[in-house]
Amino acid sequence: MSALDPRLCAIAFLFAPLFALLSYPIHSAEAQSNRAEMHAAEGLALAKAGNLQSAELELRQAVVLAPENVTFLEDLGTVLAMQKKFDESNSYLQRALTMDPSDLLARRYVAANLWQLHRYAEAQQNLRILLRASPDDPQGLLLLGMVSENTRDYATAARALSSVPALVRAQPESMAALARSYYHIGENQKARAWLNELQTHPAGVRAGLLGVQIADEMHDYETAEALLSSLAARYPDESAVRYQLALVEFDAHKFEESRQILQQLLEGGHGTREVDHLLALCLEAQGRREDAIHTLQNAIQLDPGDQASYLDLANLLLAEKQISAALDLAHRMTKTFPDSPRVFVSVGSIQLHAQDFSNAVTSFSRAAQLDPASADAVIGLARAQTNAGMSHEAKATLHIAMQRFTQKAPFELELGQVLMKEAENGTGDKHAEVKAKELFNSAIAHDGKLADAHYELGELALRRGDLAAALVHLKMAAKLTPSSANTHFALSRVYRRLGQEQQAAKEIALFEKLKQ
Amino acid sequence: MRPFLYGLHHAIARKRVWLSPCVLLSLMGLSFTSLAFFQNSPPSPPQEIFSDITERAGITWHQFSGESSDRFLIETMSGGVAFLDFDGDGLQDLFFVNGGETPRGKSSSPVLNALYRNLGNGKFEDVASKAGLDRLRFYGMGVAVCDFDNDGFPDIYVTGFPESALFHNNGNGTFTNVTEKAGVKNAGRWAASAAWFDFDRDGYLDLVVTNYAQFSFNDLKKCELNGVRTYCEQKAYAGMPLTLYHNNGDGTFTDVSEKSGLAKLIGRALGVIAIDVNDDGWPDLFVARDASPNLVLINNGNGTFTDVALDAEMAYDSNGVAKAGMGVDAGDLNRDGKPDFVVTNFNDEYHSLFLSTPSMLYTDRTVASRLAAYTRSYVGWGTHFIDYDNDGELDLLIVNGHINQVIETTRVDVKYQEPPLLLHNEGSGVFRDMREQAGSVFRSGYRARGLAVGDFDNDGGIDAVFTQLDGKPVLLRNNLGQNHPWVGFELQGTKSNRDAIGAKISVEIGKRRLVRWITGGASYLSSHDKRVVVGIPGNHSPETVDAEIRWPSGTIQRLSGLKLKHYHKITEPTGRK
Repeated sequence: MSALDPRLCAIAFLFAPLFALLSYPIHSAEAQSNRAEMHAAEGLALAKAGNLQSAELELRQAVVLAPENVTFLEDLGTVLAMQKKFDESNSYLQRALTMDPSDLLARRYVAANLWQLHRYAEAQQNLRILLRASPDDPQGLLLLGMVSENTRDYATAARALSSVPALVRAQPESMAALARSYYHIGENQKARAWLNELQTHPAGVRAGLLGVQIADEMHDYETAEALLSSLAARYPDESAVRYQLALVEFDAHKFEESRQILQQLLEGGHGTREVDHLLALCLEAQGRREDAIHTLQNAIQLDPGDQASYLDLANLLLAEKQISAALDLAHRMTKTFPDSPRVFVSVGSIQLHAQDFSNAVTSFSRAAQLDPASADAVIGLARAQTNAGMSHEAKATLHIAMQRFTQKAPFELELGQVLMKEAENGTGDKHAEVKAKELFNSAIAHDGKLADAHYELGELALRRGDLAAALVHLKMAAKLTPSSANTHFALSRVYRRLGQEQQAAKEIALFEKLKQ
Repeated sequence: MRPFLYGLHHAIARKRVWLSPCVLLSLMGLSFTSLAFFQNSPPSPPQEIFSDITERAGITWHQFSGESSDRFLIETMSGGVAFLDFDGDGLQDLFFVNGGETPRGKSSSPVLNALYRNLGNGKFEDVASKAGLDRLRFYGMGVAVCDFDNDGFPDIYVTGFPESALFHNNGNGTFTNVTEKAGVKNAGRWAASAAWFDFDRDGYLDLVVTNYAQFSFNDLKKCELNGVRTYCEQKAYAGMPLTLYHNNGDGTFTDVSEKSGLAKLIGRALGVIAIDVNDDGWPDLFVARDASPNLVLINNGNGTFTDVALDAEMAYDSNGVAKAGMGVDAGDLNRDGKPDFVVTNFNDEYHSLFLSTPSMLYTDRTVASRLAAYTRSYVGWGTHFIDYDNDGELDLLIVNGHINQVIETTRVDVKYQEPPLLLHNEGSGVFRDMREQAGSVFRSGYRARGLAVGDFDNDGGIDAVFTQLDGKPVLLRNNLGQNHPWVGFELQGTKSNRDAIGAKISVEIGKRRLVRWITGGASYLSSHDKRVVVGIPGNHSPETVDAEIRWPSGTIQRLSGLKLKHYHKITEPTGRK
């Protein structure tokens, strides 16, 4: 030691920290990486054990320690997706893709998240990249099929899903999507084959019922009934199956069969709001409106907090012209649901029917206040104001709505009708009829399926004596709403003026039938 | 002398040599008068077209509706009135039909009809009791007057619920109830308007009765508005068929409702007018119905009728809605020689105006005529085309009044008591509201129902009377019509029914032809002076006019040299059957 030069010691002493410092990153990077690995491993183990929250914490640690580790990013993204935190999941997965755009796993997971978020266009974009790189990627094809089905590209959906049958069979939802797609492209046999498979799916009655729903939705009532019968045989005590059967029968207009099943459910103690509801609809369809009313009243007693029952009952009472009872119900509804915009729209409608226009204005105003985005509330308000003799206010209501709402067509139609009334009774300006016509035309430009706008233009043309134009518009109105008695009446007037007596008589016959 | 007059005196004095004394005096008088005028009196207002002379005339009768907390719809609908010359003295008298009691709507005094005899001096006297017309054993609604037995004296048919009654005029100021004998009781029905017309042209007037709805005082219907008990809308009541009685010519009638096809036309009928719609010489019917489609019943000439209202486009409005048709009248507005129609309706529906075209298709001119603008807020009842100013154009008189006492709590623009409307025909199928000039009655609110028109003072100015629920009627004297040239017709059938109901009168004035009819029915629940007054268009000043009468029998009679401002009594040229 005496041999060591003190300067060397000093230098060593001076540089020792430097040496120490310089050598530290090499050692800590390794340590960090090790720690990250540990956290990641722990996270994966927790995830496998089903403890996703803890797994997330561990994997977050891993990512903090190793922010550029693509695998850790993917794992964290996956765990987040498993907890339905799709947006955050995507943020980590996108980071992984930024580092490695060829990471097909991350790409697939991003597409899956986007599908869950209903961002179908972006999902499709990612799937295109994925399948370009790996055209036979089975998971990618499955996902493409589901997204395409959601966007109603049924041909692509059928093609994609049918290419991965094993994967499709894993979930009832994918089997249902494929069946639905086949229906839409006219391959009903194939659709039915998949629905039959759903009956024996390991997911049990849930899968079976899904199959029934698809058949019912696609108006294949025969298949729906057959599937249900088979389900009912295997699950005789399953009230959900019998309810589905009742629903299918109802959709197939077999109201008596449907009613009997529902009645049995009620008598068997399986009465629910849905059962009472469907029973009420059956009874109404059978013309037994009084019974339907009682049934809905029962539903309300069963569940006084269920708004839908009140609303359906209100509609039924109005259809039966039981205005007093409807007004009583309106009173109850406003007390039970003081903050429900739908209730106040319903109450306003009842008051309109009862010609209680001032109170209708109040109710619709309240509905609009509770839900400024409710077009029904705004239109109801304008209508009530017009009927109450407040046409100036009605026009203001509609003008404001036309500025606020994206869908302008209903308000343009309503305003046009207000102006027409003013033109008729001489209270508007002299250009009211011209302005009304412009509004009707604009409404149609925004929504070509607005039958009432076509009707109004037809009436205007008829009034002018322009029979050709009247016929065009009224025929369109009749095509869009064939059950509109007024439209057929107007058509009869056009045909009569054209000297086409037979056509006129046909339209009048339709009018008389529809009026009843 | 004051300076002004001094100066005038000197001015006149200077000119004294060559001004005539009359001029001088008139100048002097004028100056004094003018000064006095400017110093003392405001300018006198133009005379109102119609004056309310009810009180002056001594009319004190009061309608009783039986209004009750039960709110039976019938309580809102009564109020028939008739102009008739019951005693043949050449002066139009008045008959008012009262309503009646309801289970909880009782009267402290007997509910009586009134027959006001025209005393000729602007005064009337109630002689209903003496005449045997004061009491009914049912709830009274409307009245239809005609000489059903052609004995020269007008008889009275009173409609009501649950029956109606026929009173034969004995010719001595009294009437006899001949309902049972005649077979026109219309038992069990709620009858509204009725019209006499000769549907088979046998010279005897037949009777059509509009029946409104199935009704019973035991059937309580409960409706509310804004928490207040109110009258139910008409659709709560099912409709009824029409009744048609054929006059057998021997004092009896036969119910031919089924045979004629009228019995199958079920609806809520309120107003009716008998007039030749298609100008084939056979009288037809227009029936106004309440929330049921109107009927245009074309007489097939064989005892049956065909409804052409749909083809004529008068059954519904242009949106296919059956409006609340209450009253109806017909007249030739567009001067094509064919009848046009007005129908009164509910608020927001507008009272309708249908104009004839060369085919059977009618045009709805409600909006174009401005009738829509004037009637949007009103519930209309009695209505009549009258040429109130005798300018040759048919004007329109409508009486209004709501049924719902609480309507003003739900609307800012509709009132319970509503003013009548006098609409002047501007000559191109367009009306003008004469509210400001018509008289104070037209600026006041009423619950008006029946409306009848007639010339009670025989001056050529058509007067009017309307009833109101639970109130006194209003008798309106026309102050204007007599100031303008007119010609009057009082027809008497011989081969045709004596009243000449169904006759078509065409008056030629220059190149213009004015057509008028003697109709059965018209308005709401009411009956009118059967004489016809034709105003002479302003740009013509003939001394006499020519006319052509098509009698109900088909006989055509041409007349010339008819003096103006005069009623001409014209008898059908052929002999009686």
